[in-house]
Amino acid sequence: MESFDIKMAQEVEETMKRIQSHRGVIGTIVVNSEGIPIKSTMDNATTIQYAGLISQLSDKARSIIRDLDPTNDLTFLRLRSKKHEIMVAPDKEFILIVVQNPID
Amino acid sequence: MMSDRKAELERKKAKLQAIREEKERRRKEKEQKDVEEARIRAASTNTDQQREVDALLSSLGVAPVSEVLSSLSSANSLATPEQSITATPDVSLQPSSLSSAHSAPKKRNRELTIVSVAHTNIPPKEPVVYTKQTQTAQTVVHANHDGLSASSSTYTMSSCSTTTPTHYCSAGYFETDWWRPRKAHAFDYYDEYNLNPGLEWEDEFTVLTYDDGQAEDEENSLPHMDGFQSKLPPGILPHGLPQVKEVQPAVTQEEKQKEQEKLKEVRELSEEEKQMLMISEEFKRFIDRSSRIVERALAESVNIYTDYTGTMDGEDGMDDKSHQCLWLNRQFFDERWSRNRCVTAIDWSPQFPELLVASYNNNDDTPHDPDGVCLVWNTKFKKSTPEFIFHCQSPVMSTTFARFHPNLILGGTYSGQVVLWDNRVQKRVPIQRTPLSAAAHTHPVYCLQVVGTQNAHNLISVSTDGKLCSWSLDMLSQPQEMLELQNKQSKQIAVTQLAFPHGDVNNFVVGSEDGTVYSACRHGTRAGVTEMYEGHMGPITGVDAHAVPGGIDFSHLFLSSSVDWTIKLWSMKENKPLYSFEHNSDYVYDVAWSPSHPAVFAAVDDSGKLDLWNLNQDTEIPAASITIDGSPALNRVSWSSNGMHITVGDDSGKIWVYDVAEHIVHPRMDEWDKFLFCQQEFKNNKADEEFDKLNISSGPPSLSSMTSLPSAR
Repeated sequence: MESFDIKMAQEVEETMKRIQSHRGVIGTIVVNSEGIPIKSTMDNATTIQYAGLISQLSDKARSIIRDLDPTNDLTFLRLRSKKHEIMVAPDKEFILIVVQNPID
Repeated sequence: MMSDRKAELERKKAKLQAIREEKERRRKEKEQKDVEEARIRAASTNTDQQREVDALLSSLGVAPVSEVLSSLSSANSLATPEQSITATPDVSLQPSSLSSAHSAPKKRNRELTIVSVAHTNIPPKEPVVYTKQTQTAQTVVHANHDGLSASSSTYTMSSCSTTTPTHYCSAGYFETDWWRPRKAHAFDYYDEYNLNPGLEWEDEFTVLTYDDGQAEDEENSLPHMDGFQSKLPPGILPHGLPQVKEVQPAVTQEEKQKEQEKLKEVRELSEEEKQMLMISEEFKRFIDRSSRIVERALAESVNIYTDYTGTMDGEDGMDDKSHQCLWLNRQFFDERWSRNRCVTAIDWSPQFPELLVASYNNNDDTPHDPDGVCLVWNTKFKKSTPEFIFHCQSPVMSTTFARFHPNLILGGTYSGQVVLWDNRVQKRVPIQRTPLSAAAHTHPVYCLQVVGTQNAHNLISVSTDGKLCSWSLDMLSQPQEMLELQNKQSKQIAVTQLAFPHGDVNNFVVGSEDGTVYSACRHGTRAGVTEMYEGHMGPITGVDAHAVPGGIDFSHLFLSSSVDWTIKLWSMKENKPLYSFEHNSDYVYDVAWSPSHPAVFAAVDDSGKLDLWNLNQDTEIPAASITIDGSPALNRVSWSSNGMHITVGDDSGKIWVYDVAEHIVHPRMDEWDKFLFCQQEFKNNKADEEFDKLNISSGPPSLSSMTSLPSAR
């Protein structure tokens, strides 16, 4: 069981690394439902800022979707800005945030 | 507008003034009349009589008439100035005078006499203020009124206060201290009232009825109202005035939220807590799910900001593509899981046409990694990583999607086990495997295929000892059927490849290491090998049956590739090959019919060449030929089920995906007829050849010299 856990943690690590190694990716953050960062590849201040703000936005977006149709739910959120693209994959317990340069 | 209002107010003022003066005049007249009458009465009686009366009265203990008369007149003269004070506008500007008027209790005495003029409109104006408040109470907007409206309201207020008694009231109201914080609102009532003359007069009147009871007299009503207003505690206004309160809760809530957020940000998890979270099954599932989505999104390179009105700088060479049949689309490679591993099999998902599964042999460089790997790749999304990663202890020699079970993937291993993976469980290792016993396979399973229909399908596996097992996916503990494939000398056939003709579940062909292709059937009295097709000089590396449905049945045709550098076209009805393709100059490792074009197939060889043959076009040279960079040995070739892609797997773990030209993906209808004709030509040629051979051996020398050229070939 112990080794299984370690393996799982490794797989998570592997996945994070894979996403981070993607061309154009600036940072990857995993946030829990309270907006507390769990894992991040960015510096502390930026991580906290992103975590707080994006989780709020995600909550708001979800509430909008649910207000519009109670049977609906938010699954993905993409923010295109001049400088970056922020991808938000919200889940029940966690949120995955990826910031990338959309320049191709 | 303002001046209009002013004028109107002025008019009203004047009217009121007139009414008041009229009233005053009448009252004075009446008073004078009373006094006159009394005097006349007094005068009419002679002094004797008066004296008599006085004497009589004094005897009774009552004051003499003359005294009474004088006191009466003095009372009247006293009251008049008082009345004038309240009535005259000039004096009424001073509110202090109001309170003094109010303090005089005398005035009540005269209420009855003045009732006749109670119809004057003065008291109703007071209610205007009152109702004004209720109306504006709902609109918070007033709080935001700019300086303009504020100044205009101040103006109206001051102008009003000079005139009507109503505005005394308001003036009194303003003079108290507590109004100050609400100045804007207070002004706005008047403002709105003045700007909105259409307000209901009647309603306001009724609202104030309880006041009216006490203040029938207009003179009294004013001071009385003043007293009423000033008695109210600062917080309570008639009909819920305080707009400020409405705004306040919103602000505090926001602040609260902000505070909470701040708290949230401040809180940080300890390393252990983070570790605990990361170990949880929930987290694992989340990462698995969301990373998949994010990776797909990341790989999407579609520029949604394409501006077609702008300059076209990056125009791709569409022209040079038009004559091509194949373009490289992409490459599948995983640094950890596929490097240095030979691609042993490729299969496409029937449910999700964009998914392909590839099995890989072991990697000698990484003895600690599992020997067998199976990766599921996605051709739809441009993400570069596998969709699923599966592995097992023994090298996987063959793989297939379990048709009718979209989540299951099967692998045939070198050890002889057939393994089953499920992409619904968070496990990379097989969830089921067949036993390693004499009841099943004990040799490498190079062939794996699911045949049948939704309700009756079997997994067919063939190992290199010629053992064929058919399995039910529900029970992998033992095969449902077992069949030994043996040649005429009762020797085991070392099966390397298996192919079922299109739509057939009983008959099939297998390629063997001895260079012979066998046809066999699973059921019936003659179950086992039925025919053998000899022609290749070396082990068979690939066998594929014609699979394009259409008006003409070509399902008896199959192709075989061999290490003897040739590809041969066979008909199951004949023991001799219809045609031999001898274009390649290296081991040909695999061959595959197009699933959409009847006369097209693809072949790969050891020198890194991918050939696309179109038999309707040419039978001598391929229609397209590509040498892949680095000339790797290409082990496997496979078409996507719609015929739009060809995938090629090499011996170092790379899979290339090629796009196929439109005319091959969607053939014209005459291609079938053409191919039939082509097939007939093959037969004719073969007959000619044989005829020539006969001639060579038995014919006259002159003839043999003529045919020496083709026979030498």
